[in-house]
Amino acid sequence: MFKRLILEDSSIWYIITAFVTAATIFLTIAWRALRMPRAEADKFAHLPFTTDANERHDPHA
Amino acid sequence: MSGQKITIEYNDRVVRQFLLATVIWGAVGMLVGVLIAAQLNFWQLNFATPWLTFGRLRPLHTNAVIFAFVGNMMFAGIYYSTQRLVKARLASDFLSSLHFWGWQFIIVCAAVTLPLGLTRGKEYAELIWPINLMVVLIWVVFAVNFFWTLARRREPALYVAIWFYISTIVTIAMLYIVNHLSIPTSLLHSYPVFSGVQDALVQWWYGHNAVAFFLTTPILGIMYYFLPKAAERPVYSYRLSVVHFWSLVFVYIWAGPHHLLNTALPGWLQNLGMTFSLMLWAPSWGGMLNGLLTLRGAWHKLRTDPVLKFYAAAVTFYGMATFEGPLLSIKSVNALAHYTDWIIGHVHAGTLGWNGFMAAGLIYWLLPRLWNKPLYSTALANLHFWIGTVGILLYVAAMWTSGITQGLMLNATTEHGTVLAYPNFLDTLNTIRPMMLMRVIGGGLYLAGWFLLVYNFYRTVKGAAPVNGTIEVYDEAPAPDAKLSLAGTFFSAPTLFWFLAVGFSSMWMFGTDLVSTAGIVGAVACLIAAFALVPSRSQAWGGWYEKLLLNALPFTLLVFFAVVAGGLIQIIPTVLVQKAKNVEDRIQTPYTPLELAGRDIYIREGCYLCHSQMIRTLVPDILRYGDYSRLGESIYDHPFQWGSKRTGPDLARVGVKYPNVWHFRHMENPRAVSPGSNMPTYPWLFSHALDASVMPAKIKVQRLLGVPYGPRTAQQIFDSMDEQAKGIAKDLRTAGAYVDSDKEIVALISYLQTLGKSLPVITKSAPR
Ligand code: HEC
Repeated sequence: MFKRLILEDSSIWYIITAFVTAATIFLTIAWRALRMPRAEADKFAHLPFTTDANERHDPHA
Repeated sequence: MSGQKITIEYNDRVVRQFLLATVIWGAVGMLVGVLIAAQLNFWQLNFATPWLTFGRLRPLHTNAVIFAFVGNMMFAGIYYSTQRLVKARLASDFLSSLHFWGWQFIIVCAAVTLPLGLTRGKEYAELIWPINLMVVLIWVVFAVNFFWTLARRREPALYVAIWFYISTIVTIAMLYIVNHLSIPTSLLHSYPVFSGVQDALVQWWYGHNAVAFFLTTPILGIMYYFLPKAAERPVYSYRLSVVHFWSLVFVYIWAGPHHLLNTALPGWLQNLGMTFSLMLWAPSWGGMLNGLLTLRGAWHKLRTDPVLKFYAAAVTFYGMATFEGPLLSIKSVNALAHYTDWIIGHVHAGTLGWNGFMAAGLIYWLLPRLWNKPLYSTALANLHFWIGTVGILLYVAAMWTSGITQGLMLNATTEHGTVLAYPNFLDTLNTIRPMMLMRVIGGGLYLAGWFLLVYNFYRTVKGAAPVNGTIEVYDEAPAPDAKLSLAGTFFSAPTLFWFLAVGFSSMWMFGTDLVSTAGIVGAVACLIAAFALVPSRSQAWGGWYEKLLLNALPFTLLVFFAVVAGGLIQIIPTVLVQKAKNVEDRIQTPYTPLELAGRDIYIREGCYLCHSQMIRTLVPDILRYGDYSRLGESIYDHPFQWGSKRTGPDLARVGVKYPNVWHFRHMENPRAVSPGSNMPTYPWLFSHALDASVMPAKIKVQRLLGVPYGPRTAQQIFDSMDEQAKGIAKDLRTAGAYVDSDKEIVALISYLQTLGKSLPVITKSAPR
C-alpha cells in the first residue's frame, strides 16, 4: 500500500534480525542472571525481610 | 562503622491516603462498569441523557479503573515497599502530598469532563489536553520523589521490585507523552498530531503497553515484595525474577501491533507484533510459577489467610491472562476473536483477577499494619474472596462464550465462502444476549465483594490510631555508590555495540541504496564483532553488568533505551512513509467543514466504542461491509477511528448505504428501523444547535497538521456549512422528517454519509 513499506521480501529479514538481536541480548542477560551465585541470590531475596522496628509480630492475632 | 543509631520514621501517611483512594475509586470505577454492562442489555438505562450514555461512560469506566483504581493502589504499594527496601523515608513530604492530591484532582477532572463528552477520542487516552499536562506534571513529581528517595538509600542493593517500579516510571512517561501529542484548537479540544495508520500504531503501542507497564510491571514489583512478606518466605527463585524482569522489558514493548492484525497495517509490522507476543508466553509463565512456588510450604495457611488466598488467585489469573494474550495474537485466532467480547473477557481476567485481587490482598495485608489494629473481620474478607472469584469466573466464561459465538457467526459463510450465513448483524447480537446478561451478574457479584472490603476497611479503621513504621539504622554517610559513572555506562563495550547496532539498522531501513547497503554491512559486522569478543571480554563485561545492578541511574537509562528501541523501530518508518504522495490505490477525500463537525460529534458521543471503521482483509469482513479498508482511506483522520470493538457493525463504508432519513430515524430511535438493537437513543442531537463558531480554529489546526484544506476565511467556512446543512435538511423534509438545518444531527448525518468516500490514486507502476 505504501511503496517503501511493503517490499515484503526484504522486510522478512528485518523481522528476523529484530528477533535475533532481541533474543541474543535477552539470552545473555538471562544466562548471567541464572548464573548468579547462590549467596548473592539469597542476599537479594531476603531484602524484603527487614521488619519495621515497631511492627507487631502477628497483626492478625 | 561509625555513627550512632537513629530511628527513621517512614512516610506511611501518604500510603494510607493512597490506600483509601484506591478503595473509593475502585468502587466508583466498577460501579460504572456494571452500569454500562447493563446498558448493553437494557438500552433504557442510557436514560436518553447525554452524560449517562454508554459512549461517554465507557471511557469513564476504563479511565477510572486503570488510572484511579490501579493507579492509586500502585502508588500505595510502591511507596510502602520502596521505603522499606531502601531503608529510607520518602525524600520529600511535600512532593508526596503533591503527588497524592494532584492525582486525585486529575481523577476528579476526568470524572467531570468525560461525561460532558470532552474527549480526545482515543481509548484510555481520552482525557483532554489540559488534564494531560497535569498528568505529566504529577508523574514527574512522582519520579522525582521516587528517585530522590533511591538516592538517599541506606541499602545499596536494589531489590527486583524496585527495578519493576523504575521501568514503570520511565516507560509510562514515554508512552504517555508520545500518544498525547496534540495541537489544541481551544481550551478544551485538540487534534492528535498523528493520523490514520500512524495514529493507530502509536495508540496501540501505548494501549498495549499501558497494560504492560501500568497494569503489569508495577503490580509484579508489588508481588515480588508483598507475596514473600505475606507468605513469610523469600521468593522462590530470585534468579528467575531477574530473568522475568529483563524479558518483559525487552519483549513487551514490541507487541503492540497485535491489536491491528488483519487490518491495513503493513504485513511486516503485524508479523513483528505477533512474534513478540508469542515470545511473551515464556517470561509471563516463569513469573507466575515463581509467584506460586513462593507459596510452597505455605499452602496450609491459604485456608485461613485471606491475603494469601487473594495473592494465589491473582497470580493464577496473571498466568491465565498471559496465556490467553499470545494466543489471541496468532493471526488466525485473532481473525475470529478481534472486535468481539472475547477480548473483553481477556481483559477482565487480567484486571479483575490479577489487578483487583492483588489490590485486595494488598489492602487486607496493609490495613492492620498501617492502623495497628487487627482486621475487623477475616470471615468477611474470605467471603469477599469467594464472591469475587465466582464473579470473575461467570464474567469470563460469559465473555468467552459470547465472543466465540460472535466470531463464529459473523465470520460464517455458505456457498463455498461466497455468501454470509448470518447476513443480519442483529442475529448475532440477539444470540449473545443471555451471555451479556450473565456478564452483568458476574460483574455485580465482583462489585458486591468489593463493597464487603469497603465495609471491612471502614470498621477496621474506625477509631484506630494510624501508625507509621520505623526502623533503626546507623547514622553514617550513605554507602559509596557511584562505582559506575554515567560515562562509564555509555562508553562500555556492551552499550556501544547496542547503539551501533541500532544506528546501522536505521541506516539500513531508512537509507536508499548505498546507505542501506552500508547499514546492512555495519549491522552484521557489529553483531559478528560482539560475538567474537564475548569469550575474551566476558569477565570484564560481566563486571559491568554486575555494577549496573547496584546503580539506579545508569540502570534506568538502559531500561529506557531498551523500551525506546522497540517503539522507534515500529513507529518511525510508518510516520515517515505515510504521506499523501506515497499512498497507493485510494486516498481519502478531506471532510467538508460540516462533515468534520459531525465527526467531532461522533467522537464526543463515543460511537467508536461500539463501531469500528476498519474492514479487515478477511473474506467475511469484505462480504459484510464492502471492500477492505486501504491505509490511504484514513490518512486525514486525526484521531483515527478504526475502533477495537464491534458491538455494532463496521461503519467504514456506511456512507450512501442508506438515505439521510434512515439515519435520522435511527439516531432518534434505533429500534424504529432495527428492531432488537441495543444502540442508545440520541435525542439531544435533535435539539442542540451545532456550534459552528469553533470550526475556523479547528480547520486551521487541521491545515497545520497537513490536511489539504485551501486557505479560507471564517465566513467561507460558515457559508459552506450552512449550504450543505440546508441541503440535507431539505432532503430530510422531502422524506417527511423535519429538523432545522443548524442542529447537530444534520452534521452527524453529513459525516456518516461521507464514510468510505475516497478517490482512486493513479500510480505510475510502483517500483518493485
Ligand atoms: C452501545 C453500542 C452502540 C453505540 C454507543 C452506538 N451504536 Fe450504532 N449501532 C449499534 C448496533 C448494535 C447497531 C446495529 C443495529 C442497528 O442498526 O441499530 C448499530 C448500528 C448503527 C448504524 C447502522 C449501520 C449499518 O450498516 O446498518 C449506524 C450508522 C450507527 N449505528 C451509527 C452510530 C453513531 C453515529 C453512534 C454515536 C452517536 C452510534 N452508532 C453509537 C450499537 C451502538
